[in-house]
Amino acid sequence: MSELVEALKNKLGDLNPEVSEGKGFISVSVDSSKLREAAKRLLEMGFDHVKTVTAVDYMKEKQFEVIYHASSYLNTDLAKYIVELKTRIPRDNPEVDSLSDIWVSAEFLERETFEFFGINFRGHPDLRPILLLQEVADKHPLRKDFIVKEEGIFK
Amino acid sequence: MTDWIRLLIDIIFWPPLFQLVIAPGLVAALLVVIFIIWFERKTAARVQMRIGPYHISPRLGGFLQLFADLTRYAFQEIIIPTAVDKPIFIGAPLTALVLSLLPVVSMPYTSTPYYYPLPMDYSLLLTVALSTISPIFIVAAGWASNNKFAVIGSLRESFVITAYELLIVITALSGGVAALSYNLVDIVNAQTPFYKWMIFTNPIAALTMFAAILMATSGFPFEIPEAENEIVAGAFTEYSGLMYGINMGSAYIKRFVYSLLFTLVFLGGWLPYKPGIHLIDGYIIPLVVVLVKATIVMAIISFLRAVYGRFRIDQALDGAWRIFIPLALIGFGLALLEAYMGVYA
Amino acid sequence: MSTTTTIPKKLPGMDLKKIGKDLYEVFIGPQHPGSGHMRIIIRVDGDVIVEADPDLGYVHRTMEKLAEGREFIKIVPLMERMAILDACNITLPYVEAVEKLMDIEPPPRAKYLRVLLCEINRVASHLYGMGIFGVFLGHSTMYMWPFGDREVFVELAEKLTGARLTHTYAIPGGVRRDLPQGFKEDAEKAVRYMFKRLEEYRKIFLDNPVIQKRLIDVGIISKNLAAKLGIVGPNVRASGIKYDVRIIEPYEAYDELDFEVPVYEEGDAFARAWIRIIEIQQSLNIIRQVLEKMPEGDPMHEKFWAKAPPLYKKVFQETKRVKLIPLFANLKVPAGRAFARAEAGRGEVVYMVESQNAMKPYRVRVVSPSFRNAIVFKYIVPGHRIADLPAIYGSIDYFPPEADR
Repeated sequence: MSELVEALKNKLGDLNPEVSEGKGFISVSVDSSKLREAAKRLLEMGFDHVKTVTAVDYMKEKQFEVIYHASSYLNTDLAKYIVELKTRIPRDNPEVDSLSDIWVSAEFLERETFEFFGINFRGHPDLRPILLLQEVADKHPLRKDFIVKEEGIFK
Repeated sequence: MTDWIRLLIDIIFWPPLFQLVIAPGLVAALLVVIFIIWFERKTAARVQMRIGPYHISPRLGGFLQLFADLTRYAFQEIIIPTAVDKPIFIGAPLTALVLSLLPVVSMPYTSTPYYYPLPMDYSLLLTVALSTISPIFIVAAGWASNNKFAVIGSLRESFVITAYELLIVITALSGGVAALSYNLVDIVNAQTPFYKWMIFTNPIAALTMFAAILMATSGFPFEIPEAENEIVAGAFTEYSGLMYGINMGSAYIKRFVYSLLFTLVFLGGWLPYKPGIHLIDGYIIPLVVVLVKATIVMAIISFLRAVYGRFRIDQALDGAWRIFIPLALIGFGLALLEAYMGVYA
Repeated sequence: MSTTTTIPKKLPGMDLKKIGKDLYEVFIGPQHPGSGHMRIIIRVDGDVIVEADPDLGYVHRTMEKLAEGREFIKIVPLMERMAILDACNITLPYVEAVEKLMDIEPPPRAKYLRVLLCEINRVASHLYGMGIFGVFLGHSTMYMWPFGDREVFVELAEKLTGARLTHTYAIPGGVRRDLPQGFKEDAEKAVRYMFKRLEEYRKIFLDNPVIQKRLIDVGIISKNLAAKLGIVGPNVRASGIKYDVRIIEPYEAYDELDFEVPVYEEGDAFARAWIRIIEIQQSLNIIRQVLEKMPEGDPMHEKFWAKAPPLYKKVFQETKRVKLIPLFANLKVPAGRAFARAEAGRGEVVYMVESQNAMKPYRVRVVSPSFRNAIVFKYIVPGHRIADLPAIYGSIDYFPPEADR
């Protein structure tokens, strides 16, 4: 794993990534303006598909973290590893470049992230809700300020 | 008093009426269809590790289930969508039902001339011609439904019609060619010794006609116009209640009619029984023999449901035009050869 | 969610959209015998599909949001609901992710028991898929047989866990129950029966000329395209990519077991059908091996017993059954983020769990195999005929509740 960390540091060196080992993945954090460039280089390295695209809402820091988990099918050595490519974007203007032309597998996953967080993926070929109705998607259910009221058993 | 009974019997057993309404027409056809549906469900269930219809009459193996289903269909609400072309939507299935039943009148079920419904000289041609009328109304019903699946279904139906009708005409006529007659009575009578049944002397034509019947009546593996998982119920998507039942019924009656024709041409009709001249031995018994044979043909068609999936429309048409038409022509050639050599002379 | 119901002004699909000349738009689903709980909007030119747009979400339950409001243990039964036949496989990565965060490893016996249930689930899941596949092609026998034989494995799972479908068997720290008595004999009987049945499936379905005609060269996904689309599971292996999490990153006890992962080069629907049959065979082999190699020991990590009341400890030591409530009611998971993956029946399922040292997770991200396979509809279906749509749908074993989560 540490070899791959070094390789990633070399490959993405001029993008100032923060590379670290996580629990089950290798984390690569870049600035949102350099996300596309980083994705292109990961694709060159052989990370040919993404497993998830998601975001985490850090309401206190007023930020979203957009996360792509990339891995490889064609390269069996890289298939053992999962690279978490992530970037932070401001919460009040959530916009980030779409990677679905680099990784086609990200297309539906980006649509899902768009509807649940309201993150606008610039340059996405077909950005509309996929699982939710437009009315529900407008409320962006996975943001932390969307509160679900559940009926408890003992309440 | 006896005159009254005599008259009544004469009216009931007047062949044009009797054949259309009672046997093998409406009543017998209904019974056979119900039996075949029950048989289809039971055998399929047997193959598929199930029981099939059972609980409504355990001693009869659930046979009454079918009557229950029939009652349900009869009393269900018939929903007519607002967007349909009403006269055709209602009229087409009914017309199709009646017309699909017509060919039973043009076929003989005995060699006793007294019990012919019509003059029999060109009965083979007449039967084939009558049997080709009804499909157009299914296409019309699908078109009038104003539903995308129905339109696709009726388009498929029309594609399949063009493929199978030629087959049925060629193969049925090859029977007539071999026996040197378009008279179905002559064709049946020509097959006198057991081994001269045309299914043995001309198996190619028989096989082709069997496949064409499968195609004509949406039997597996050619269950294409009503492919459930692709186009819901094909041309009948918008129908409900009794109207749907009529549509299904006319499809089964069509299969029954073709089975009767197949029985007469290839399975030796009422043979090996030799009809007498009285009502019972000259009409009823040969009729029953023909019905039993036709039912067996239908049962074989039904059993294929448990074995095959369905072809794609282009594959079925491809098979019909490239494989079965040449086969039918070979069968026709074989019939010509038999006629030349005087096998049935 | 707010209590006032809002009526959607515009439903997807109801908006008018200009389509090409001579095209016919057909809505397959959601009330359609060949669609499942989803809709595929196809535009056809004659009989050939030129455009397909999968419209998912008809059974969406927002599990990720619900998970944020639940304690860690309650998420296991929640996540099971997306693929109840595959309950152990589909929740295993979540359990592993939580274990990674807590830095514990389950005892070896628990690992073997998890593998055992996973493989039983995999067989049941594949049989379900084969059944749906059969009926999509109009083959009613292939619909009934696997559904009947699935019962054998559902009952096997019931013997092991006490529940037919939603087992909640794998829990952080181990499994909920130990192996019951006499299970080995029952499993051996089921395995032998299934081997025999697979041979009959081959005879009636895969060797059937009609089925072969419908499947061969239909829905071809090339190796590179499969990697590009990121499809998963048997589908990607049918395209010549040897990717199976059980081999790539062995979890639980898979590195100690001897099994093969079938790979086909053709990438068509027929290869995808075959691969399921072979995978069932391999799973049956794994079940046999697991039962032979099963180590002795507790099925639950001892850490969880430290604070348990004495009565529960006694119950556990005598019957090896876990009472969930006292052990997990105030389970606090250390802060951090963990990622885990596993090979479920329909393919790879991945979880990302983020905790902020609380009793409830901060974020749970799950991507199910079917959701990643949904992209096939958009990119592979165009160019095929309408009748091929069920064949492709069935061959990728798409399962809407799993995709919608």
